[in-house]
Amino acid sequence: MLAIRDLVVARNHKAPPVLNAISLTVKRGEKVAIVGPSGAGKTTLFRTISGFLPIRSGSITVDAVEVGSLRGKDLRNLRRRVAMISQRHDLVDQLSVHQNVMAGALGRWTTARALRFLAWPTHAELDEARNALSRVDLERKLRSRTSDLSGGEHQRVAIARALVQQPLLLLADEPIASLDPILSGQILSLLCNLAGENGFTLLCSLHQPEAACKYFDRVITIEGGRITLQKHQSRNVGYAEVGD
Amino acid sequence: MSGLESALSLLRQFFPPDLSPSYLKAALVPLYETLEMAAGAILLAIIISLPLALVIGARLPGWRLLRSLLTSVRSIPDLTLAILCVVLIGLGPAAGTVALTVFYTAALGKVFADIFASADPGPIDALHATGARRVMVALYGLLPLRSQDLLTYGGYEFESAVRASVIVGAVGAGGIGTELVGSLNMTDYHRVTTLVIMLVALIAAIDLFVWCVRIQPKLLLLLAVFGAFAAWVNRPHLIALNHAVTTFKSMLPPHLSPEAVREVPALIGQTLFIAFGGTLLAMTFALPLGVAAARNIAPAFISFPVRRLLETLRAIPEVVWGLIFVGVGGLGPPIGILALGLHSTGTLGKLYAESLENVRPEPAMAIAATGGSTIAITSFALLPGAFAPMTVHTLFRLEWNMRAATIVGMIGAGGIGEALFNAQQLFFYDQMLVYVLITWTMIMATDAINTRLRKRWRVIEEQHL
Repeated sequence: MLAIRDLVVARNHKAPPVLNAISLTVKRGEKVAIVGPSGAGKTTLFRTISGFLPIRSGSITVDAVEVGSLRGKDLRNLRRRVAMISQRHDLVDQLSVHQNVMAGALGRWTTARALRFLAWPTHAELDEARNALSRVDLERKLRSRTSDLSGGEHQRVAIARALVQQPLLLLADEPIASLDPILSGQILSLLCNLAGENGFTLLCSLHQPEAACKYFDRVITIEGGRITLQKHQSRNVGYAEVGD
Repeated sequence: MSGLESALSLLRQFFPPDLSPSYLKAALVPLYETLEMAAGAILLAIIISLPLALVIGARLPGWRLLRSLLTSVRSIPDLTLAILCVVLIGLGPAAGTVALTVFYTAALGKVFADIFASADPGPIDALHATGARRVMVALYGLLPLRSQDLLTYGGYEFESAVRASVIVGAVGAGGIGTELVGSLNMTDYHRVTTLVIMLVALIAAIDLFVWCVRIQPKLLLLLAVFGAFAAWVNRPHLIALNHAVTTFKSMLPPHLSPEAVREVPALIGQTLFIAFGGTLLAMTFALPLGVAAARNIAPAFISFPVRRLLETLRAIPEVVWGLIFVGVGGLGPPIGILALGLHSTGTLGKLYAESLENVRPEPAMAIAATGGSTIAITSFALLPGAFAPMTVHTLFRLEWNMRAATIVGMIGAGGIGEALFNAQQLFFYDQMLVYVLITWTMIMATDAINTRLRKRWRVIEEQHL
């Protein structure tokens, strides 16, 4: 599903690499946590997988498609199938919740439809948004103002948007960094449950090794741009359990 | 002594203003026409410039070309554009509306593009990550994220368009500017005073409207409806198209006789002299007035009237000052310097006062704690603290005054502007085009130098009123 070989990424051609010879293979449906201190290269790794950063050497393939060489339409097609959520700042506050959720469909919509949806959403489209929101238990916020949401709700709307994208791979970049411990546990178990139900692959970066061990199949530790530790979890904890 | 007396008797000719009901009623027509031109032009400019700015902001194909096109159109002063439009379209408000539309499309396009460029990258990246096209990222991200600032700056530009709408009237593009020139030509100075008072009142009313819009954005709909109506009323008629094409042909190729070419350096020198002289004069007046207007320095009974004085100076555009001086018999660069100086005193005085008010209060308190007087606090804490922003404002004023210097030139202050206006009056359109191109080159060069200076000194661009 995702294969990374000897990946080297740097800010520019003179700078020292941020990611240094990373190799990683992830199977379809696998749930992998990536743990490491700030500045270890977790965000860089995710942004490179979605084709936002150039690859200096090595390769990334998503579903047998080589990421590094993609441009224009091919790159957009890749991004459609690789959803990304980050710790915050990624909803447009001035749009309402249903508009933010359906932004996940922009990759498959025509421009005319995108424009029309802003003013006159159809029932079918609203149902799709409501359906995605019900998966994150936020149906009641369908027509709310995004700026009125709390931090945890904000994050769940971002997850609903990712669901609308119908991704093969979900990259969650520190999704719980700005949430309290109880909410963090809820969001992580939600992500893992959704990955199980929808069959997408989940890659999630975290600060907290305990949380990683609790919810994920595999934990990878990155430090200074290198993988320093990999361990598979024996799964004896139910995902639905709420963190402490 | 006799000099002072003649100046006083001249001043007396302007008072009292003609406030007879019949004239007031008659003057409302051009006043309304001015407002109509500004509203129609700003609406058209917003409609055209918003998609252009989105193309630049979303980095759609051709954005670099579009950006340099907007920058170069912006370098043609509004009055120069107005002359071109009067020549091509004919006298009246249609020419004024077209000139203002072109000018503000370029100005707003640049401002809006800058607003989009400073959008929060987080949501924008998230939208790109869904695989959305750039157009959709613009619709779902750039536009809603920056809507508030678009509204604020749209308001600023409307205010500025009303002032510019008076200016373009001076070359026959209709409105209160044309009425003003008419009254001056007939040496009817009482009416000139009436018109200037009405103008100041109109700009104060616009200020108030823009302030209300910031609180209640729905008021903007009123402006849109009025603007649409105004743009329709003042549309150029198609009959003029033939005339426009013929006139445009007579401008090509641009040509200047060898004698005229030899005079060009002197003309450029005069324009530079007006721009620098006007800015220097304004700095001299604006410094004490700015200190007197700063609410953290001067008591209210001083700062309040000084602020009203600065507002009045600012409300009267350079061209109107220039027209008044020309009307009472002045000519040449000195009146240009005086016209630029008076208007710039109004703007710089206000900006200096704001800079002084924005200085951190702690150093001032420390000096006050030593028992220092107001003068000591001002000179040892506030002025040094406000030095950097004041420099930025002055540099921007100098850049602005380069444009203004060519504009006041057209009404008799000399320099490249006067040469341009004379060529137009004599129907030497091929010469006129040469002077238009020279003006354009001068302003492009000034902008480029100023941008480099700002980059080197690391000073931030600020909204300039």
